[in-house]
Amino acid sequence: MQHNVIALLQELRAYALEKGIQAAIFYHEEESYLMRFANSAISLNTNEHLVRLQISVFDGNRRADTMLLADPGQIEPLKRGIDTAAEMAGFAEPLSYTPSIPVYTESVIDMQAYDPFLACITNAERLEFFNTLARGLETEELKLSGVFSNGITTTAQISTESEHTQYFACTDASITAVLSHQTLKWEVNALQSAQAKTDLDPERLRGELAFLVRQYSEQPAVQLPLGKYTVVFGAAAVGDVLDMLNWFGPNGGMMKRGYSFLSEAQLGKQVFSPLFTLTDDPRCLPTYPVSRDLMGKRRERFPLFEAGVLKAFFWNQDDADEFGAEPTGHSVYHNNLVLSGGEKALGSLEELAALPREEDILYIPYLHYMNIVNPTAGILTGSSRFGALLLRKDGSVAVPYNVRITQSFADLFGERLAWLSREQCAYNVSNSYGMRNPRALLVPRFLCVRGIEISHSNSSY
Amino acid sequence: MKQELKKNIDSLMAQGATYVDARWYPTEESNSLMMWNGNLKDLSASSQSGVGVRVLYRGAWGFSAASSLEDTAAIFGKALDNARTAAERVDFPVRLAEKDAVRASFSSPNLIDPFTVPLTDKLEFLRMMDAKLNQPGVAQRVAALDFVKRQIVFLDSEGSEIEKTIIDVFPSFQVMGVDKDGEVQARKYKSARLGNTRGWESLDPEYFSATAERLVRELNQLLVAENCPKDERSVILLPGIMFLQTHETIGHPLELDRILGYELAFAGGSFVRLEDFGSLRYGSEKLTVRADATLENSPGSFGFDDDGVPAQNNLLIDKGILVGAITGRQMVEEANARAHRQIFSGSSGANRATAFYRVPIERMTNINVDPGTDGDLNDIVRGTERGVILDGEKSWSIGSNREQFHFATDIGWLVEDGEIKGVLKNTTYKGDTLKFYNSLSAVGDERTWEVMYVDNCGKGQPNQIMQLGHGVPVCRFDHVTVGE
Repeated sequence: MQHNVIALLQELRAYALEKGIQAAIFYHEEESYLMRFANSAISLNTNEHLVRLQISVFDGNRRADTMLLADPGQIEPLKRGIDTAAEMAGFAEPLSYTPSIPVYTESVIDMQAYDPFLACITNAERLEFFNTLARGLETEELKLSGVFSNGITTTAQISTESEHTQYFACTDASITAVLSHQTLKWEVNALQSAQAKTDLDPERLRGELAFLVRQYSEQPAVQLPLGKYTVVFGAAAVGDVLDMLNWFGPNGGMMKRGYSFLSEAQLGKQVFSPLFTLTDDPRCLPTYPVSRDLMGKRRERFPLFEAGVLKAFFWNQDDADEFGAEPTGHSVYHNNLVLSGGEKALGSLEELAALPREEDILYIPYLHYMNIVNPTAGILTGSSRFGALLLRKDGSVAVPYNVRITQSFADLFGERLAWLSREQCAYNVSNSYGMRNPRALLVPRFLCVRGIEISHSNSSY
Repeated sequence: MKQELKKNIDSLMAQGATYVDARWYPTEESNSLMMWNGNLKDLSASSQSGVGVRVLYRGAWGFSAASSLEDTAAIFGKALDNARTAAERVDFPVRLAEKDAVRASFSSPNLIDPFTVPLTDKLEFLRMMDAKLNQPGVAQRVAALDFVKRQIVFLDSEGSEIEKTIIDVFPSFQVMGVDKDGEVQARKYKSARLGNTRGWESLDPEYFSATAERLVRELNQLLVAENCPKDERSVILLPGIMFLQTHETIGHPLELDRILGYELAFAGGSFVRLEDFGSLRYGSEKLTVRADATLENSPGSFGFDDDGVPAQNNLLIDKGILVGAITGRQMVEEANARAHRQIFSGSSGANRATAFYRVPIERMTNINVDPGTDGDLNDIVRGTERGVILDGEKSWSIGSNREQFHFATDIGWLVEDGEIKGVLKNTTYKGDTLKFYNSLSAVGDERTWEVMYVDNCGKGQPNQIMQLGHGVPVCRFDHVTVGE
């Protein structure tokens, strides 16, 4: 496998050199599987095997790309892709800067995020996983939905500037299980992210679902009055907000273009609570890291916020070229974000619900359909969904209908941040709109914020 | 290749499959150009080819796809294996609504294939757009052109054989500036569909030039504008935001797979229930909505869907009453069975896949709001006591059952006593879907009706991006919360 991929890249490099073309060639191969459940049945069972090549041709300060989704066994169409990019580059409008071409100084084979056991998981095992997590929970009214998505992603790079190649392989799985009530329309869910087969734990998901189903079946549903609440967010909500913050926050290119809520003047300043430490950590296997970026730069641990202080902006090569910044090893398909855990010893929702409390706590595990309302102010909006709970100070529990929050990053991670749980978990944010790109963040299981404004409250599910 | 695919289809049927189809993409080409502040940041061409195979076995779906056609029998074999596993957990065995076997072809209307246009001409158009946007007050400017040409061969075990060639052009541009309070303001534009064709000729330089000038002018007004007040007012939605309102709160909730719970693990459900068809008052009597896949100039028109069903023009909401849904062959059978009555008489021809490597699902076609009889924008403004005119999609967030929403728009104009009083920035509005549409109090006539395109509608697992359209007029809704 490695040999075939590297041989293909070397043959294409030789062709480019022969034609006097400066090029970088990026290989992407995915073997994707997805078993989808709906209405307690498998509604779809798919697999796709796709090979993509991106060819970037450089001609001084001109650049053009071709992307091919094709048969790697047919070399001629791939060579034509190089010719097409070269032809386009000849017509291209010159950039105001000179784009850097990758120069790989050593050959790298990185399989750290590849697990051969997860790579070989079968249809039967995927089905058994779901049967286990749903055992005893499905009824005529309570139907199972969800997905078991897993795959193998292989990426490799070469350029005409050296004969060295980079090769990376990764395995991933993302599981979503939903139990939804057919007539009452409530939904509870449980999520799991895996990089290795040993990460798969259907019993844990079953336990989480069972607890939520019990609450939703036995406790009263309520429409929450609008106003301020102490909110404990679950890992999914925290992960999605951080994923958005990563884009609109310490992203050098976005900052220079005016789309970030952060500015260079804030470097070294206290931006968030001292409880907030966010790092891009390519050593963190659950986040599917690679050891080198697409330019061949070694990926290093990169603090973004330390105890609430903004430490750095990250720069990919193209933005760094354009704005005269130093690239930081962030020419990558994704960052590897880790939000440090706090002091609160809290490993499960059941433990959270059992904690003595002096005030009502609104638990929001998941924020649906978030979007940025105002990038400069860092204001986002989203609705609760899947398994929210109102944990009353008298110890009772109620089930709130969905609510909307419209708050800023500073509202969430600033001085109102009360505590974070010590235990962390991987939250999978992969999507598969285009090529497979497994992504996950490592985040505390729970994060508590005081004074969160509920701006809309549904009157039913 | 077609003979090889037919042989494989026959082979799977002989092994017990009850339905098989194959979508072979001989080629799908795309070409993207994007200029950001004068820098040609994206100049790319892409091509893809491959085959996707869908198999029904004992009431369950299996699917497989590959970009290599070296061993097509293996792709078909994997699809059948996947269906066999799926058949071990079946709740409602899949049945497909009847259709005629079709031997046909479809080509989207175009006069000039954009892939025959020299790159220099495309760059010249882009440079023209960039120059128009490069004006005082503009800190960031982006102009983009995207072209796509898709050839699809569809074959199924019922004898259908359909060949499609679809060409589309997607132009867009945006300008951004920093306002008096240091906040980013932007105006974005995705062109309304011009003329009746979908090729290179649909790009009208004069129209784009005039629109660019307007957007730059509006951006400069935004830079000194006041914030939208937090208030309850009428909102007058121009087509540049009405299309998204329609998309998110009429289109998505009326996808039959969502209504039946097939999207619950990801995109969400729908507040609409099967018993609502024929009786639910979705909106005021002024609201009539249709799914029209026959509109000539829109990416939501495709000749035949990926079930092989011909494109149709169907009512969804008739004078405020819910009457139809966006359907494929599978879901109508299941919906009728679950409802114990015939709600749907057949597929509405809206099952589409984004690529050969994705399975078809219910997708919007052109979800259009019929023009009304309340005149043009000026007429509607004259009849508005306290309102805000809104345009340009900035952000959108919708409840998981599409029951409530929050939108931010690029720009607004305050309306007092029938007159426009000035530009507003940071405009937002929110509401509950049914309450909102039932407050529809004015619908502009044909002069206000524009066909807008959506080139990035996401749905499904594995995820799919789809292109579609919305023909919408100017609409006014009353008693809406704004500025929050």
